[in-house]
Amino acid sequence: MTHEATQITSPTKPSEILLHLGPQHPLQPGPFLLDLKIEGETIREAELKIGYIHKGMEKVFEDRTYLQILPLTDRICYLASNSNNDVYCRGVEELLGIEPTERAKYLRVLTNELCRLQSHLLGIGEYATDVGFLTMFIYMVREREGVVSLLEAITGSRLNHNYARFGGVANDLPPGYKEMALKTLGELKKQVKSHDEMLSSDSIYLRRTKGVGVLTAKEAGELGVAGPPLRAAGVEYDLRRMEPYLVYDDLDFKVITQTDGDVFSRVKVRLLEILESIYIIEQCLDQMPSGPYKQDVTPYITRPKPGEVYARIEDPRGEMGMYIISDGSDKPYRFRIRGPAFATAQALPPLLVGGYVADVAAIAASMDSCTSEVDR
Amino acid sequence: MGDEKIDKTIMIELSNTFKDAVSDVDVPSPNRAVARIDPGKVKEIMQFLLDNGFDHLSCVSGVDYPPDKMEVVYHVTSYSAPLVITLKASLPRDDPNIDSLCGIYWNANWYERETYELYGIKFNDCPYMKVLLLIEEMEGEWPLRKDYAGYPDLT
Amino acid sequence: MEEGGLGMGEIEAELPPNVTVTSASAIQEFIKNSPLQKIVNWGRKNSLWFMTHPMGCCGIEQICVGVAHYDTDRFGIIPRCSPRQADVMMISGYVSKKYLPALQRVWDQMLEPKWILMMGECAISGGPWWESYSTVTHLDEIFPVDIYIPGCPPRPEALLQGFIELQKKIVAEQDRTVIPNPADGGV
Repeated sequence: MTHEATQITSPTKPSEILLHLGPQHPLQPGPFLLDLKIEGETIREAELKIGYIHKGMEKVFEDRTYLQILPLTDRICYLASNSNNDVYCRGVEELLGIEPTERAKYLRVLTNELCRLQSHLLGIGEYATDVGFLTMFIYMVREREGVVSLLEAITGSRLNHNYARFGGVANDLPPGYKEMALKTLGELKKQVKSHDEMLSSDSIYLRRTKGVGVLTAKEAGELGVAGPPLRAAGVEYDLRRMEPYLVYDDLDFKVITQTDGDVFSRVKVRLLEILESIYIIEQCLDQMPSGPYKQDVTPYITRPKPGEVYARIEDPRGEMGMYIISDGSDKPYRFRIRGPAFATAQALPPLLVGGYVADVAAIAASMDSCTSEVDR
Repeated sequence: MGDEKIDKTIMIELSNTFKDAVSDVDVPSPNRAVARIDPGKVKEIMQFLLDNGFDHLSCVSGVDYPPDKMEVVYHVTSYSAPLVITLKASLPRDDPNIDSLCGIYWNANWYERETYELYGIKFNDCPYMKVLLLIEEMEGEWPLRKDYAGYPDLT
Repeated sequence: MEEGGLGMGEIEAELPPNVTVTSASAIQEFIKNSPLQKIVNWGRKNSLWFMTHPMGCCGIEQICVGVAHYDTDRFGIIPRCSPRQADVMMISGYVSKKYLPALQRVWDQMLEPKWILMMGECAISGGPWWESYSTVTHLDEIFPVDIYIPGCPPRPEALLQGFIELQKKIVAEQDRTVIPNPADGGV
């Protein structure tokens, strides 16, 4: 694959138009500029310009201590904040040479999966808005409120949870949590199954999404995409199975794949992953051991020994990695954030070229990128 | 290219194939391997890894070691095995440039553009080397270098 | 009161008796100083349509407050996608140097009367990234801000309270459409 069609050149024929989608546009979850050169209804070239919410995180992190960075890792991708906390804590724990307690591992898995639930629910909801299915958006946000209440009961916050700590988690489950969670998740399972039926049987929706924006497994591998778009193309690549962390090798779950690689499959993968995550949460609540939720010895000022670590996690959007270089002081020397949405956003322009303008909204929303993570 | 090749024995093959270009090979854990490479041979080494099952370029980053050194760090993984190989190439800080990997891994383009605008490391033969995250007026300031004067910006 | 549009005294033809000439701005001034303005304000405060403009973490709470659980429609507040159709712009998140010109254009595209709500720490002061090389910190020197809603992110209930405070301001005629510069004695 070449990079030619992903750079915009000026129109040469009178039938070509330059179309700018952004930086403020109803279909976007955050500001970016999508330039399209179209001829009639077909897209000839597409370019994605990012950086509108570039915060300079990597520079700011070099000036904060390890404990001060912990609440800021939430803000890298706000919809996957528990995953960000978890991967950061695992990286620093590897540098410090400590392990979280058994109960803390199960609690982290529980909050990771709850986070995946609410991220997929909002992702499908925003995708439904862009396709034109506003009812689904309202339903999804309503279901998401239930999950957010569960997270709020544990962590105390609706968004930006800041729950993991070095060697454990911040606090234990409140009393009566298991019954409340099982009741809410039982309701959620019923509703998601009915939404799945709704999405698979509506004929207009199927015509808009089946066979549109096809990303084959080979193309996805070349473009460097991971996460639900790759699994929708048939590749079984899930870090929870490939490189099991925390207690995922003790839990029973399937890696969800589809075969077609189009918009419909990507959304279907997310819907089925919601049901799979509910199953994982039920197992966690069953198998959770009693014991301390945090190591006794966690120093307030952490000074890891000099070294480096690359920690990975299966984010709701793909593979999130953090590369931390420590020089022995209480601030990191280099903190590199490898976000999954960066890879997915880079793969969007080649996917749009050759298609119709009317499909841009559906394809862009089905890739489910989080602009804050692309720009950092 | 079966699964039996995609594990840490690739590091032994790598250092045998490129004797002078690969040094300081270390395998700290079963799924992580680190090596230092010669920046002039980065394209051949990456092509060798691609041919041997490492088909996913995860990340390209820059690290600044004042006063005389800068490094480019590559993380290469595979879609069929959990091993992550970290490769580091050392460059002189006054004029850092290295060959671009856009012909080998398609997604290297944006990573290289970002490393260029934040550190000033030039990637030769990279198509469309221009700023990605910053405004065009800030090209040339290299904000992530350790001696950048514009941080902290207390206005 | 007819023949609006021209200023007073610009009509050249000989006017018949019992005909007065005025202008649209004179009518507006008349309404502003009369009890009719209260009816206009009542209409404005009960239908504040905001522009959905998610720019950061606070954008998620902005989306959540407009739908199901924390319904704003009961106050007359609904989300609109286009700046041409909205009254309130919520700066919900981080503004970088690259985005500021686009934000100013979006603000200029909105029709009068219009208000701004600053939501979250990043909009008010730069938030956790206030030292960064690409943050714009003093947004209240560029835009006329009415309400600040602190929090990181603020809860949806805090957002609703922000809207209600804006409604109170409109009723009391203390908002930025009436008093543009705080140095003139505004709130």
